[in-house]
Amino acid sequence: MTDTLPLAEARSLVARARAGDFAALEQLYRTYERPVYTLARRLTRSPEDAEDVLQETFLEVCRSLRQWRGEGSLWGWIRTIAASKALMRYRREKLREWEPLEEEVSGARSGEDVPLRLDLEAALARLPERSRTVVWLHDVEGYTHEEIAELMGMTTSFSKSQLARAHERLRRWLGAGADA
Amino acid sequence: MSDGRHGTSEELLALRDGEGGAWVREHVAACAACAAELERLEQVRSQLRALPSFAPPRDRWPVVLEAARRDRRRRREAWSAGVLAAAAVVVLSFAVFRHAAAPPQDAALRQAMAESQAMEQVFRSLHPDQRALTGRTAGVVADLEDRLAQVDAALNDPSAVRADPDRVAELWRQRAGLLSALVDVHETRATYAGL
Repeated sequence: MTDTLPLAEARSLVARARAGDFAALEQLYRTYERPVYTLARRLTRSPEDAEDVLQETFLEVCRSLRQWRGEGSLWGWIRTIAASKALMRYRREKLREWEPLEEEVSGARSGEDVPLRLDLEAALARLPERSRTVVWLHDVEGYTHEEIAELMGMTTSFSKSQLARAHERLRRWLGAGADA
Repeated sequence: MSDGRHGTSEELLALRDGEGGAWVREHVAACAACAAELERLEQVRSQLRALPSFAPPRDRWPVVLEAARRDRRRRREAWSAGVLAAAAVVVLSFAVFRHAAAPPQDAALRQAMAESQAMEQVFRSLHPDQRALTGRTAGVVADLEDRLAQVDAALNDPSAVRADPDRVAELWRQRAGLLSALVDVHETRATYAGL
């Protein structure tokens, strides 16, 4: 998403929130709760995890408001906090990729390569968490591979290969037309 | 078709993102299959971006608000403790260097400290943490509080205190001035709001 709050308004709200104006803080929360929750839903496994990420993100925003200097997009700053919180949760829980998926997708077991013809929402949800994270951050949020690599603690080439593999999987599941 | 092969997913994605090399660029221009795949990748990206957003099922704002209130109370307490520590550092430093310090310096410092402490009492009596502020006022208050924090940090540095007693008196005067400005801002705002 692009930042819905004009920079001047964002600066004013942040200044008021920093000075202890809780109404301004609530306005910030209401402006960004949906995009933060949506990002969290795409980067975590369950709605409950996403809710926790939403809460952790805004607790961090409250603590760190002074670090936003008003020079860049406020959404960009909050989004990075949210992505970090989601990825921290991922690392903390040491989630494992769904290994059987690999065989299922490649058709290695059956020798078949039949498209599942899922819709895009279902296909995205079916991707392993790490691949889904790379796809979402790169294709939707506009992060570069360098930024993703730094955020996820991986190499740039690994981020590129994850994106390529994820799109190959999506192609199989969606069918060649991608008319989801 | 060049090199007898098609572009890989990674090469086509790089091209989609405006980073593709010369080979894949030329190849796609001549290969209908790769051109179609590139188009499909662009479509998938557009469709991903068009997916609906999610609304949080429960309102987490009350939890965030309570945490923000707790955090603000803690910061206020830490701020007060910092000021007391700064005053203690200065008093101790001047107890040690009392004989070396010239009487006018001592008097100037005591006066600056007294002014700062008096202004702080006035400021606190306004209950600044319970006031809602407009955008411009909030910006001014935040700036004054930042500068106040810098002065407090300087006063909390014992080596600086020992090195330049004149500077310490100047810092206390700055502190009194900043508190006075904060009082002005809050009182003005209260007058406008009819508080």
